[in-house]
Amino acid sequence: MAGQEQLKSCVIDKNLCSGCGMCVGLCPYIKTFRDRVKVIHPCGQKDGTCYSTCPKTFWDIDGMDDFVFQGPRSDQALGVYKGIFFSRAAGEKAGGAQYGGTATSLMAFALDSGMVEGAVLAGGSALDPRPVYAGTALEVMAGAGSKYTAVPTLAAFNQAVGINGGRLGLVGRPCQVEAVRKMQQGCHSEAHGNRERAVGLTIGLFCFWSLTPEFYDFLAEKTKGEVITRVDIPVEGLTVTTPAGANTWPVDQIRKYIKDSCSACIDCTSEWADISVGSTESDPQYNTLVVRTVAGQRLVERAAEKGVIEIKPYPEERLPILRKAALNKKMRVIQGEGGKMPGYLKLSDQYRAEIIRQWEVLQK
Amino acid sequence: MSAHAVALDQPGRRVVLTGNEAAARGAIEAGVSFAACYPGSPTSEVLPTLARLGARFNIYTEYSTNEKVAMEAATAASYAGLRSLTICKADGFNVALDFAAAVCLQGINAGMVIMVGDDPGSHSSVREEDSRLLARTANFPVLEPSTVQEAKDIVKAAFDLSEDLRQPVVVRCTTRICHASGDVTLGDIPMVKKEATFTRSQRFVSSVKFAPGMRDKIKRAAALAGDSPFNYYTGPENAQRLVIASGPSYTYSLEALAMLGLEDTAGVLKISTTWPLPEELIIKYLIPAREVVFAEEVDSFLEDGVMVLAAKNMDRIGQTKFYGKNSGHVAGPGGPFVGELDPDIVAGCLGKVFNTPYHPPAIPNAGEARDIIEHSLPGRELALCAGCPHRASFWAIKTAVELDGREAIVLGDIGCYTLGLYRTGYNLLQTVLCMGSGVGLACGLAKLDRFNFRQPVISVVGDSTFFHAAPQALMNARYNQADILCVILDNETTAMTGHQPHPGRGVSASGEAVGRVEIESLLGGMGIPVTVHDPYDIEGSIEVICSLLRQKGPRALVLRRSCALVAVKGKKKNRVYVDQDRCIGDSCGCARFCSGVFACPANIWDSERGRARIDEAVCNGCGVCATLCPGKAIVVERTV
Repeated sequence: MAGQEQLKSCVIDKNLCSGCGMCVGLCPYIKTFRDRVKVIHPCGQKDGTCYSTCPKTFWDIDGMDDFVFQGPRSDQALGVYKGIFFSRAAGEKAGGAQYGGTATSLMAFALDSGMVEGAVLAGGSALDPRPVYAGTALEVMAGAGSKYTAVPTLAAFNQAVGINGGRLGLVGRPCQVEAVRKMQQGCHSEAHGNRERAVGLTIGLFCFWSLTPEFYDFLAEKTKGEVITRVDIPVEGLTVTTPAGANTWPVDQIRKYIKDSCSACIDCTSEWADISVGSTESDPQYNTLVVRTVAGQRLVERAAEKGVIEIKPYPEERLPILRKAALNKKMRVIQGEGGKMPGYLKLSDQYRAEIIRQWEVLQK
Repeated sequence: MSAHAVALDQPGRRVVLTGNEAAARGAIEAGVSFAACYPGSPTSEVLPTLARLGARFNIYTEYSTNEKVAMEAATAASYAGLRSLTICKADGFNVALDFAAAVCLQGINAGMVIMVGDDPGSHSSVREEDSRLLARTANFPVLEPSTVQEAKDIVKAAFDLSEDLRQPVVVRCTTRICHASGDVTLGDIPMVKKEATFTRSQRFVSSVKFAPGMRDKIKRAAALAGDSPFNYYTGPENAQRLVIASGPSYTYSLEALAMLGLEDTAGVLKISTTWPLPEELIIKYLIPAREVVFAEEVDSFLEDGVMVLAAKNMDRIGQTKFYGKNSGHVAGPGGPFVGELDPDIVAGCLGKVFNTPYHPPAIPNAGEARDIIEHSLPGRELALCAGCPHRASFWAIKTAVELDGREAIVLGDIGCYTLGLYRTGYNLLQTVLCMGSGVGLACGLAKLDRFNFRQPVISVVGDSTFFHAAPQALMNARYNQADILCVILDNETTAMTGHQPHPGRGVSASGEAVGRVEIESLLGGMGIPVTVHDPYDIEGSIEVICSLLRQKGPRALVLRRSCALVAVKGKKKNRVYVDQDRCIGDSCGCARFCSGVFACPANIWDSERGRARIDEAVCNGCGVCATLCPGKAIVVERTV
């Protein structure tokens, strides 16, 4: 095993840290500010929960499928799922929610219905996002809206586990879902207690990359200090809304702010979440909703029944587009620069061959 | 001893006083009217002693913002015909030197004494400095007491000398005189009519036209030194072996000669008027001497002065060998120009020169004692006090610097927070030079961006040091738009020298309530944005510092929280204890954070149980460790 020293040398110093926050709040030695996660002081321990639960130290993709879905996947693009839909919040959606507001509505519903006792998510404003613990549906609603820099949401998770020990919900990025799944397999140290059952629901977000905080400097420069009311990155490019109106810049201009760790990530649809939510890339009123686990399925069905969300079939013609985007990202990573994959990813030859095969099929 | 003994109007009575109290008594016996100082060890206790007696003896006392201002204020009183005293440490004399070098030309009116504390061995200073060199630069005669009694008598005599010459006189006291206690025979307290007059016709100007007159004063001082009762010789007549000593080295030399059994063959010439020197007196003893040894602390000041006299009078003194710091014969363990002397060191040096080997008296069980000291006693590092707000501030700054990730440079300054150099302050500080210098250095570093230096620059300065020396540097930062973050560690007192008040405190030296100078308003007036935060809120402080580090231009953060010692003095403390069932201890998740890393002296390790514990005798009840404990195992019972 290994501990803080290896976390620092193998993950943080190599820019592999995605800022998920899993190692923050477990001890007094690792701290976070905005998306940055840093080792403040050496703890001197040989082994540590920070290393063992980090989604960028090691993980075995086949093993993760077994753990979450009790079996292998057939679709290498989107992972295991029971259904894929277009969805949106029924009635009034939360003020800041992006697109259909599905993630917010579902987590609020999970809280209201007692499936979870609290939720952690990326709250705060577009310019100052921060990890938030929400104890009520209203507090979940207040956190609505996409954040484009990496918020170490799991720091709030660790804090909440320490305080109430109850079952928590997570709205998070793919790396955060992976971290939680790793933790559920019991790889943390004894001092961090019995955390396997601390997670009641994971709502994973689609995420192709997140940005470094220097992105804020870019925003400030572009908007010349005006108040920013909304940030969005649709296909057309970065769109920033101020009281004076909306302005769009090509995505290429913000590419330099993409975190290095995101370029080494193969999961853009939160493949191990109970439910994954993303944009539709076609209808801004809706989300793409991927239902993956039994628990996720049950929640979505009940939410639809109770009129919390509306769902409709996923347009068949869009599926290859989504699958192609997901596979393209995987191919970029497994073929990597010079064909080298990041060392922490364990991928069986069969899995790897299957990814390549499915990608080739889509190219035709 | 108390101010009571200092105030006794019983001439001839013997009382026990410290050197600083004796000096204060000497000033009272001289009829001093005005005393001003910026506190600095080893002379910090002189002014408060006078302040307590100010009403009784009609003495005005003040803590000035710095030593230059103190010397200027004291000079004004002298101009107006009142005897005045200013007190500082050697480093403080540096600050005042610009004024001193100006005032010396035309001189003063009523007697004015500058008591300077030198600190051989740097017990309470960052370095050793010999203020006699500065006094000579300023053309102020220097007197040095060798005993506590002399601390009183010489201060008193210095006023007379100063008034005779119309020139300020320096009394150089070392730590061993200031802090020693000794019996002192009290003298008369005069009934002086204290009346300040400064007429329209009086003028005091620094001009080269006064230079010849100033030289004449020094000549007269040398002549008067020949008759000074504070210079005297002890030993056989016409000794061929002579020790010339000043300050406490005089008593060390007498003791050393006795230990060597040389008291009948070697003599000691004690010189208190170390500048200007009494030429004829010294030559008289150099004539019979064949071997001369100098015993003095810090620099070779007396030695160099005597060597000049010897060269001038070579034909009269004949063949004589000189041994001292320059020849390397008079040296402590650190070398000739470092550290204090003591009777053993002097005996060792004299033994070598006089070919009489010195055998230190055998200490019973010395080997065993050494073994215990070396192997069994835990090492004691310098440490901030339990509950010190600086510790919280340093942890917040350290964390913020790491989180910022741009290798911010952290520059320090003089005060309790100088300990930021060490483990107790997480080895945070990169420079510690003199009062306020961290801010000025920061200004310079912050302007190196065109040479590709772009790391953030933080200067850390205490509240008293801020008032003493930082405003000029901060104005510079504002004027030249230096990107610096100045963190003011405001513990609302001058903690290191003994909790003296300062302009931000709202209390004068004599205890009167006065208007506060607000750091925020002062900086606001300079156009420097200020944030104020409580350092005990470490998480909040980290966030504030991280945010401020991202900003441009000069900016300031006041981390304000009373010195833990002041906060609990005479009050009930919160009880803080560890719930050992919740303590994570040695495991992952803590690894003895409170006792091993945060390391407040009250956070200790219970090795029997393998859990943390609070030393309740030491704890000041701040509860900061409870906010940092990862197991939430530290409980604070709030009574405050």
